[in-house]
Amino acid sequence: MKKQSKPKVAFFDFSDCEGCQLQFANMGETLLEVMGLVDIVNFREIMSEAGEDYDVAFVEGSITTDNDVKRVKKIREKAKIVVALGACATIGGVNGMKNRAPLEVAKKRVYGDKADTVNTIKTMPVHEVVKVDYFINGCPVYIPEVVSVLKCILLGKPYVVPNYSVCVECKMNENVCRYEKDQECMGPVTRAGCNSWCVNNGNRCYGCRGLVDDPAANGAKDILAKYGLKLNDILNHFTLYNDSQGAKYDQAFK
Amino acid sequence: MKYASIKKEDLGKWLEHMKKKARVYVPKKKENQFIFRPLHDVSEVCLKYIPTILPPKKYYFPQKEKLLNFEIEPFKTSKAFKEFEEYILFAVHTCDIAGIQCMDIVFRETPEDPNYLNRKDKMTIIGIECLEYCDKYASCASMGNHEPRGGYDLMMIDIGEKFILHINSEKGEGLVRGVAYIKEASEAEMASLERVREAKKKVFKEEFAAPLPKIYEAFDKLFGSKVWDEVGKKCIACGNCTAVCPTCYCFDVYDDLDLSLDSGTRYRIWNSCQMDDFAKVVGGEDFRKGRDARQRHRYYRKFKYPVDKFNRYFCTGCGRCTRTCMSGISLIDTVNALATEMAWAEKAH
Amino acid sequence: MININRELLLEKMKTSPYKPMKGKIIEARMLTEKEKFFKIELEDKIELGHEPGQFVMVSVFGFGEAPISVCSSPTDRGYFEMTVRAVGSLTNKLHTLGKGDVVGIRGPFGNGFPIDAMFGYDILIVAGGLGIVPLRSLIRYIMDNRSDFGKVDILLGCKTPQEFLFKEETKDWMKRFEIKLNCTVDRADPEWQGNVGLITTLIPGVDLNPTRTYAVVVGPPIMYKFVIVKLLEKKIPDHQLILDLERRMKCGLGKCGHCQIEGVYVCQKGPVFRYSELKKFKGECHEKAV
Repeated sequence: MKKQSKPKVAFFDFSDCEGCQLQFANMGETLLEVMGLVDIVNFREIMSEAGEDYDVAFVEGSITTDNDVKRVKKIREKAKIVVALGACATIGGVNGMKNRAPLEVAKKRVYGDKADTVNTIKTMPVHEVVKVDYFINGCPVYIPEVVSVLKCILLGKPYVVPNYSVCVECKMNENVCRYEKDQECMGPVTRAGCNSWCVNNGNRCYGCRGLVDDPAANGAKDILAKYGLKLNDILNHFTLYNDSQGAKYDQAFK
Repeated sequence: MKYASIKKEDLGKWLEHMKKKARVYVPKKKENQFIFRPLHDVSEVCLKYIPTILPPKKYYFPQKEKLLNFEIEPFKTSKAFKEFEEYILFAVHTCDIAGIQCMDIVFRETPEDPNYLNRKDKMTIIGIECLEYCDKYASCASMGNHEPRGGYDLMMIDIGEKFILHINSEKGEGLVRGVAYIKEASEAEMASLERVREAKKKVFKEEFAAPLPKIYEAFDKLFGSKVWDEVGKKCIACGNCTAVCPTCYCFDVYDDLDLSLDSGTRYRIWNSCQMDDFAKVVGGEDFRKGRDARQRHRYYRKFKYPVDKFNRYFCTGCGRCTRTCMSGISLIDTVNALATEMAWAEKAH
Repeated sequence: MININRELLLEKMKTSPYKPMKGKIIEARMLTEKEKFFKIELEDKIELGHEPGQFVMVSVFGFGEAPISVCSSPTDRGYFEMTVRAVGSLTNKLHTLGKGDVVGIRGPFGNGFPIDAMFGYDILIVAGGLGIVPLRSLIRYIMDNRSDFGKVDILLGCKTPQEFLFKEETKDWMKRFEIKLNCTVDRADPEWQGNVGLITTLIPGVDLNPTRTYAVVVGPPIMYKFVIVKLLEKKIPDHQLILDLERRMKCGLGKCGHCQIEGVYVCQKGPVFRYSELKKFKGECHEKAV
């Protein structure tokens, strides 16, 4: 591969917990290899100086204020490539819970009589505001997928987020299906790409990567029936990460 | 020696003996299910088990397998697989052995698949005959796979205090020859084997509503049946049914570059005809649209297409697809629905 | 008919059918805005030894592999050619490559046009859009063995005049009196002086003796349905109606499953089929006329 000059990479956060950036810091030796391929110019968690000249912008967090909108638009103008990093940036994430109530009600709930002084708008994933070139789903992001996406960025080829369910990867890992243990799981309707990380470790799938394009409400209802689960149980799980697709399928599932 | 016998209490010793010769994979318990895993402790071996989550195909057609190592500049490729080590699959059900036979036919067909053949070459199969049903999902009797039909090196049959070992190959004989506690089966033991087999006939009954040729005919005639709409409505396209199927072998190929971006590996990874984009070309046309069509395709790849091509059914009757389907698509029900529709159609004629 | 050095080829493939040969790009140029033409020389200058209509699996390491039709004739020796539209990440990458770059080549795969059976027959070629790519291989073969065939008619169709591939060559073909060529576009531009309309509009005007004619049709799936109807109206027998299908493919070896139409692996049995074969499909063949 012909070596080009190393792209300058910057990290930005919006409404998030910075946990996805922490995953970068957690890469260990791989991070050293990554540093050989890119120049990190702005990364609050691992460096003190902050460069303002960058090619690739990793944007963590959802967009929740007018100021966020302005800021992310500026980042888009400067960066050649924008990467949405993590559940908040790709699908809205936990922050999106305020979209479940009218904005005024949500503000009152959180800020009480100070509600009027707070500027806030509905929670949006980054691509609802600016064009996003790469999506890295997950809460937090899964390091091997981050590395795959990085390679795609360096090669200049698109990264396709899988559009099949977590079950595909889970079955290859030969996990005992959680439904077979009478435990619910979001795997059947959640986008793969995480190598069924949570289930491999004895957890359930929380749906942090968002819904597959066609989650088949009929089939999902059959699942609930077969395993005697209540519709509300699974609908609650849908709303945990506030997938922007969620609202679209709410009705279908009800 | 064609038939030998071994006392049950000696099985552990025998396993330890085999472990010295090759890697041994055995059925073990995993939570409330079973999986094949390398033998570590003989006490973990489960001889009474319902079909494992994944069939042993993961050892001869792994989930993810290297096809090729490559270097980009200068262009260089090398075969990724080295010589595999000898391995023994222990206590394989007859349905899974039938699955291996199906895979053999596919990967031996020209152009042959060297990766598969290499792994197969190193494989020794020790089967175990089921004397009772694993559960209600199996359709092995209808598929004729509840009884051994070749394809193994040794077959174990439980006759009470002992196992009869049917020696079916030189490889198999190599595992019993010179082992002091494995003796040629006596006449009395062979008589017990007869009795066990006789008793088994009363246990296993054809699970489908019609004999196989009739089922084949139903598949031939009922491509447009409503049965497929019903199955399609239930399907959530999780791909579980194809992953656990001992005769599903579709795959995808992808390149993984090292972080140097100078070299990498080309892998093949299991893929499923149930995925939404399985038959979609880059231009956008989807040549098998809809979960009904995709489920139908899966069934036809078991009951119709391979029969036409290889004169062999690619359903082994193991029941895994039904067992694993979260939304309750049942192979027996689907096949029976077709058979019933066929019977009605014939009556109406 | 074709002298193929299969032994050498098999020797190359023997290590693993998944191992690509080295193919050096010795010429590359854009034919239109979207299609790029490549001339490729295999390592040790071995001949690809393909039949017209066969395809190769082209690799760019890191980007994967895709099936690409060969557009040169086996009578073009020492190299082979292909024309690639940039649609996916692999083909976009291919477009960035030029003379001197190297790609991986496996193949040739599949069944090509039945040239031996077509011997002595009149030939009607119908090419829509990119369909001309595999057909160019056949046309070049026919031109190099002109006396083996009867009357030759070529119908070419494209959406717009800018999309015509092999413009210079087509002009050459038109000059050659023994080949009749007719073009049409769906949408004309001010310079276009030819026919305007779908390719099906050209078929009624062809003078043919159906039992003595092989019709070879290549184009997008939607085109087949309509063209087949028109050709059947012309009484071309099913088994003399030849089509070349596009499918997703990952191996070329009849294993990976992506290209299957019902029980048939297109990469092995096809990509070229007689309509009499396609007719037998129960419902999965998109190209079948309704």
